[in-house]
Amino acid sequence: MNSDVTDRAVQAQSQLGHLVIRDESRTPEGDLREGWRYLLDGLQALGPQGLNERGEKARRLLRDDGATYNVHGTMRPWELDLVPFVVGSEEWGQIESGLLERAELFNQLLRDLYGPRDLVRTGVIPPEAVFAHGGFLRACSGIHLPGDHDLIIHAVDMVRTSDGEWCVFADRSQSPSGAGYALENRTVMSRVLPSLFRDSQVHRLAHFFQRLRVKLAQLAPHVDEPRVVVLTPGALNETYFEHAYLANYLGYPLVQSGDLVVRNGFVWMKSLEGLARVDVILRRVDDWYCDPLELKSDSQLGVPGLLEIARQNRVAIANPLGSGVLENPVLLRYLPQIGKRLLGREPRLKSVATYWCGDRKDLAYVLANQEQLIIKPIFRGQGRSQVVSELSLAERQALLKQVQAQPHLYVAQERLVPSHVPTVVDGTLQPRPAILRGFAAASESSYTVMPGGLTRVGLTAGSPLISNQLGSINKDTWVVASEPERPVESVPLGERRPLLQQKAGLPSRVVENLFWLGRYAERAEASLRMLRTTFAMLNGAEVLPADSRRQLLRALTEVTCTFPGFAGQPELMNAPDKELLSIVVDSNRLGSASSSLRAMLNCAEECKELLSPDILRVFNDIRDALEGLSDAMGTSLAAASEEALDPLVTTLMAFSGLSQESMIRGDGWRFMEVGRRLERGLQIIALIRALLVRDMPETEQATILKAVLKTLEVLMTYRRRYRGRMDIAYGLELTLLDTSNPRSLLYQLEQLQALLADLPDAGPASRELHAEQRALLDAHATLRLSRLVELVAVSEDSDRRDQLDQLLSRLYHLLTTIASDVSDKYFDHQIAPQQLVRAVWEA
Amino acid sequence: MRYRIIHETQYSYSIPVRRCYNLSHMIPRDTPRQSCTQSKIRVDPSPAQVQKHEDYFGNTAYFFAIQKSHDNLCITAENEVEIRRAPALAPSSSCAEVLARLQSSSAAECLLAREFILDSPMIRSFPALRDYAAVSLHPERPFLDAVRDLNERIYRDFTYDPGFTTVATPLQDVLEHKRGVCQDFAHFAIGCLRAAGFPARYVSGYLETLPPPGKEKLIGADATHAWFAVYSPETGWVEFDPTNNKPASEQHIVTAWGRDYSDVTPLRGVIFGGGDKHELRVAVTVQRLD
Repeated sequence: MNSDVTDRAVQAQSQLGHLVIRDESRTPEGDLREGWRYLLDGLQALGPQGLNERGEKARRLLRDDGATYNVHGTMRPWELDLVPFVVGSEEWGQIESGLLERAELFNQLLRDLYGPRDLVRTGVIPPEAVFAHGGFLRACSGIHLPGDHDLIIHAVDMVRTSDGEWCVFADRSQSPSGAGYALENRTVMSRVLPSLFRDSQVHRLAHFFQRLRVKLAQLAPHVDEPRVVVLTPGALNETYFEHAYLANYLGYPLVQSGDLVVRNGFVWMKSLEGLARVDVILRRVDDWYCDPLELKSDSQLGVPGLLEIARQNRVAIANPLGSGVLENPVLLRYLPQIGKRLLGREPRLKSVATYWCGDRKDLAYVLANQEQLIIKPIFRGQGRSQVVSELSLAERQALLKQVQAQPHLYVAQERLVPSHVPTVVDGTLQPRPAILRGFAAASESSYTVMPGGLTRVGLTAGSPLISNQLGSINKDTWVVASEPERPVESVPLGERRPLLQQKAGLPSRVVENLFWLGRYAERAEASLRMLRTTFAMLNGAEVLPADSRRQLLRALTEVTCTFPGFAGQPELMNAPDKELLSIVVDSNRLGSASSSLRAMLNCAEECKELLSPDILRVFNDIRDALEGLSDAMGTSLAAASEEALDPLVTTLMAFSGLSQESMIRGDGWRFMEVGRRLERGLQIIALIRALLVRDMPETEQATILKAVLKTLEVLMTYRRRYRGRMDIAYGLELTLLDTSNPRSLLYQLEQLQALLADLPDAGPASRELHAEQRALLDAHATLRLSRLVELVAVSEDSDRRDQLDQLLSRLYHLLTTIASDVSDKYFDHQIAPQQLVRAVWEA
Repeated sequence: MRYRIIHETQYSYSIPVRRCYNLSHMIPRDTPRQSCTQSKIRVDPSPAQVQKHEDYFGNTAYFFAIQKSHDNLCITAENEVEIRRAPALAPSSSCAEVLARLQSSSAAECLLAREFILDSPMIRSFPALRDYAAVSLHPERPFLDAVRDLNERIYRDFTYDPGFTTVATPLQDVLEHKRGVCQDFAHFAIGCLRAAGFPARYVSGYLETLPPPGKEKLIGADATHAWFAVYSPETGWVEFDPTNNKPASEQHIVTAWGRDYSDVTPLRGVIFGGGDKHELRVAVTVQRLD
């Protein structure tokens, strides 16, 4: 998948000792350069301890924001260094005009490659260099966006070399990442070093995003209030944090392909209110994956028919499908000629010397000078960059064999020696090689360059390759004004577009995740409470009678649905520690507390753009607690274990409180509450059924009732109210029927009634009740009509309370009916698409 | 020569399809020797959206989307074409000369044709292709004569066997068992030519078949067909039919061309629903109009 923060193309000086490395902060004589003195003095003044404290604060802020970079499914925290890359505004002016010109050039190149292909026809670019590139998508030919620009966002990776010149080594046009990370870096820096930041007069980034937003709206010229969405592959993608962050910052819904559908010649988002037309897609899914009809046929990340709608200009996609073709490094080889043809001059910004192995002379050069070169495939999907001199003899031979078999699929590039930037290492400043990713966004007649960008430095002074996948440190990039910056011009009134999104803002998938977030949170809480009770009673001062002990353990299996467990393997009862531990920590076991918590966190990840920073912080705590849970539990379940679960219960309560106090009562909140109330109801039913249906001798009955009351958090109330008389009837009254108890079953049902009445489209289209309302009314009436004296009665021919059992069984059925009715009605459960003709030609 | 071609495709699904999106290549394109004079496509059930466009290779692509639930999908393409005889060629260049000119010519047509030397989704080069090609494509042999020889060898070496391959059978298997259908033979020939450095493309269409003497021609008895075209700077694109051991004639009706079958699949689609069993029935009738 798209991993373009992860280029592997840059190399720092390592063994090339004879080369002079430029230090960004100091002149060769050792004096601090312009622009750096104030900053470095300020940092120096903090001292090692101060630096560490600020570093700690930055880490905390990043963690709270959920800033991560996912590698192979693990969320790696985003590492931000305290020392920004500083560029004076005069020098930046040159970089800016270079980037601007380059974006313009690549835009024209893109339009030519998917248009007349004059550059190929006239021999400026050899045909094989274009036609063999995996990013050249023939199906995208002839599609152009409204306006002058097809290339909406262009990113460029560059370094400053020893001669002080900037040199580009890669262009990113597929769906460039990093702009959102740059913004996050800036936000954190301005909070960690507020006065240094303020006094340094750093150019702001907001303007860049404003222009981008205006441009995106202009891509739907015939629509008054175009709906723009951000299309993400999903929470497992490396840069998912950024997708959610940008969607939030720009105010667009974050959607996945399953949220979109092609109908009646347009693209629509499936929202709770029905289908909402989408006019512009800010794409973060690689183009090849976007349409299984015309592109990658087995893609799970695509929207069938999307390309055809784009072809008809009924949806604008930015960057357009096919834009990955510009990442072909062979283009750098021919860039001077391309520049002359398209712009009338060679581009100002230098590119790294590139040799195309498909050219006979170039290949000869590459073979003769391989020591100094990096060899890489022209298409990123086909392998990684290789620093030839660092390969073993066997590796080198294997690589050269591949190159000679299909030379046109490889390029070689000179190794660049990036300048060094001071970086905090163990409380001191150390030089580290740096690369800068710059960004340009199309605006009406030209491009807007982000004043700054994403700087990454290598982990060591000699890091040969810098990439987020291999691990790197990020830096903010400060373009500092020598004089106070003019206030950012705001968007002229004439082109101001409404910034508020229309209603129908939520994809139904997001709402479904909120529904399940509520359910899993309750489920996790219920299991944790039940586990706590079990531990407390097993480890309690009084010895638990054998029968009660069995009853309790069996109930634990039943309530958590971790069969066979104690219910199916009675021999476990004698040495329950291992099984108990597994019900707590084994996250691969469905029903365990860990697995419910993980499921909850996964749901949260899918809708995190709707959760407040406070809630995200709570989830971070839960994630940390989960990591440490095994250790906290230890191997023996002596007294410690009960306390080990307390922090988890507390954080879940914090989440529950926050969702009551800090979430807007919109559809998202409502569905989360519906999930919560349904699940809590189901859990109460399961608990009482498992523990109180069976009749037991009085003292044991009292113990078990106490377990129920303790788990449902009403033992204190019970004692106060009934003066310690343990009576099942009182217990059932308090846990089933008492609406002043927020953990009673009836309370859940009454809350649900209010919630269901407010769901979208729940109003009386006819006077008939909807299916879920009907089931709820049934449940409510059934519960209200039941009589305690009948419920507690024990049948003559068994030792069970049959009426209680029947009531609970009926209510359980009704609640699950409500859950599936709500889910069928509001959530989209589309069947996966399949190909009409199955073929395997796209390996 | 004028023809009417009726090409009917019918899918029956084991469970209903709720939505589908399709892209078809069923409308004959114009070529230097062929014009499509009339074209009509009927889709049942009726689509919510249809759209025609010219694709990257200049073919006519036809998109349609159906939004109502259906158990059967039926597409009937009825087209009329007029075909002229291909001009006789009197080429003289040898294979070696053609190869040299392919690399040196700066003519746009030649530069663009070089796209068809490269691997394509279904045709990836492997050494055995080059070996097979080398027997026919001697450097000093006249180029078209060499291609004709290659065409003939494929005809003789391979057995037409509709049961052996599917659209996904790799070329290696086709070569190993020397069996396949027109599509496989075309792919194989293209693979050989490309391995030897010559541009070759896949042509999809129909072939008029004549009934046995004295018999009435049966409706629906024809089939879609496939062959290949090869490029030399001297002659442009020239078509050969390895299944029938001849150059393309007035009876070869072109629908579309591309790098291989995947570029010009007659009907591709993404369906929602449909179960795991589809029944497919294709009937083609090629009627000679004069």
